[in-house]
Amino acid sequence: MANVPTNLTQFLFEQTTKKEREWLEDQVGFNDLGLMTGFVATPRFLSKKNISYDSKTRGDLVPHLPGFEVDGWNLVRLARVWLLLHLPIEPKEQFIKNIETLFDTAELNELVALYSVLPLLPYPSEWLPRATDAVRSNMGFVFDAIALQNPYPELYFPEIAWNQLVLKTIFNGKPIHWIYGMDRRKNKELAIAISDFISERMAAGRTVPLQIWRLLSAFVDVTMDSKLLSLLVSGTEAEKEVAALVCSESSEPRIRSLLTKFPDLELSIQKGELDWSKFESIPE
Amino acid sequence: MCQNPNERSTNPSHFESTHSQEEIPTHRDLLWEDYQNLIHGMRFFDPHIHMVSRTTDDYQMMAKAGIVAIIEPAFWVGQPRTGLASFKDYYSSLVGWERFRSSQFGIKHYCTMGLNSREANNERLAEEVMEILPLFAYKEGVVGIGEIGFDDQTALEEKYYRLQLELAKKTKLPVQIHTPHRDKKRGTERSMSIALEHGLDPSFVVVDHNNEETVKSVLDQGFWAAFTIYPFTKMGNERMVAVVEKYGSERIMINSSADWGISDPLAIPKTAALMKQRGIPLELIRMVTYQNAIDAFAKSGQIDVTDFETEFQPDPNAKFHGNSILRGGQQPVINKNSLLIQ
Repeated sequence: MANVPTNLTQFLFEQTTKKEREWLEDQVGFNDLGLMTGFVATPRFLSKKNISYDSKTRGDLVPHLPGFEVDGWNLVRLARVWLLLHLPIEPKEQFIKNIETLFDTAELNELVALYSVLPLLPYPSEWLPRATDAVRSNMGFVFDAIALQNPYPELYFPEIAWNQLVLKTIFNGKPIHWIYGMDRRKNKELAIAISDFISERMAAGRTVPLQIWRLLSAFVDVTMDSKLLSLLVSGTEAEKEVAALVCSESSEPRIRSLLTKFPDLELSIQKGELDWSKFESIPE
Repeated sequence: MCQNPNERSTNPSHFESTHSQEEIPTHRDLLWEDYQNLIHGMRFFDPHIHMVSRTTDDYQMMAKAGIVAIIEPAFWVGQPRTGLASFKDYYSSLVGWERFRSSQFGIKHYCTMGLNSREANNERLAEEVMEILPLFAYKEGVVGIGEIGFDDQTALEEKYYRLQLELAKKTKLPVQIHTPHRDKKRGTERSMSIALEHGLDPSFVVVDHNNEETVKSVLDQGFWAAFTIYPFTKMGNERMVAVVEKYGSERIMINSSADWGISDPLAIPKTAALMKQRGIPLELIRMVTYQNAIDAFAKSGQIDVTDFETEFQPDPNAKFHGNSILRGGQQPVINKNSLLIQ
């Protein structure tokens, strides 16, 4: 029980009926295999209702782990995460084997719960191959469980895996602002790949999700000036705003100076009326 | 079961019959396209189909023909598996990738889990499989233990059949019995009497692959009688019409068992069209091609009909239960008749 944050347990029990709570408490009394079977069987004994999660509770469930959010989860997912935290973590080999067995035999919703619990598990580097595999998944819910609103990648992914995660999120048309720690882990390699992606899409006459430009702004060099200028001059209103934000955040004087020709945009950025949050709508 | 690679077994495969040469039907000018309008607007549930062996085209045709939900029983993949990992991957695909793939076409996918009778004869492996089976039996969307029962009717087959009946009791899941191709009548009786001996409620047991010879006893003893419309070896759909005319629709259901053999994933809609043409009342058709299978397997507590009865437009960009059908860079179904590719 030592591994289970008190707030999480309390929060879970607030969501359950008496019968459900008793079932959960029974499971944690079993041996490893019994507990693992309970993990699998959870939907047979608990409701799949969405948990009620108000802003008061946000961020407090696991105090030492900012970014661990359960917004949008159902009760089964939360209960499964909680059950996994009861598996004995010693001996290490047995614990790893148990988690690996669950991964090996998991169906989609179990995988979602397993990826959700990763940031809370001990021996974090042991789960890295599983976590990077999930980024390759074609199953949307599995991908989402690791990529979106999960603090594990920011904490443990090496740069190359992190960049793949961001690129695949863009490629899948999912909202990048849900990647936890996205702004903190911007990097030059990623900016180059995104810049290439934008050029490729523009050449094909296709659009890009506008907010991906925010990952570039710190790394934009002078070779991008014509692209930005063309957006400022002839883009849609939203494209003009995005180009203006990129210019304003650039450390390159020549790029920043592009903005001086567009005083309205410059002013609304200065006044704080225009920032990236404007583009954080979920892409269709 | 061929355990020795040098031995040439004469054990026929899932679809072979020693009499297959005599059973090839004569050609008839009954074209499916001409009959599709008979079943327009009907909904079908195929409680036995092995999609892991089928293609995307099949899914598209099935959805178009009105099949809204299916059950994929765990079975033999055509060659014996050599290790536990193969079973794990196969079972995982039934609850994972295949379920997901099916959802891409708007078809709800359930499965039954079990160790099949042929591979029960490999005792070492069977023991290992039985150890992991509970982890799969309790999974969401697993609507039964199946397909289990007899193939050669060996002692080992009986041992693992009995063990799995016990698992079904423990997990409170229906059982889907595969009746043997050879010595069928005796195998069917034996399967039922063992199930009763283990205290299973016959209303929790679906006896599959019936024919004119077995149906009466199965129904009389209170079991569900499933019929497989499978060319050459099992039921033909004209014979099926006659069975329904004789026995009505109570506890009778139809499936395709389509797999890696020469089989037809549209067996149910085609049979429904034939029934309609032969004047079988619509309600009877609905029971044997849809409702009875749901009633039998819903005893698992795992079937929610709103998952497939809510209107589903096969628009791949549409949201289904709040989720997009398209995942991970999947492309929408394109108009193959268009010259332009965008």
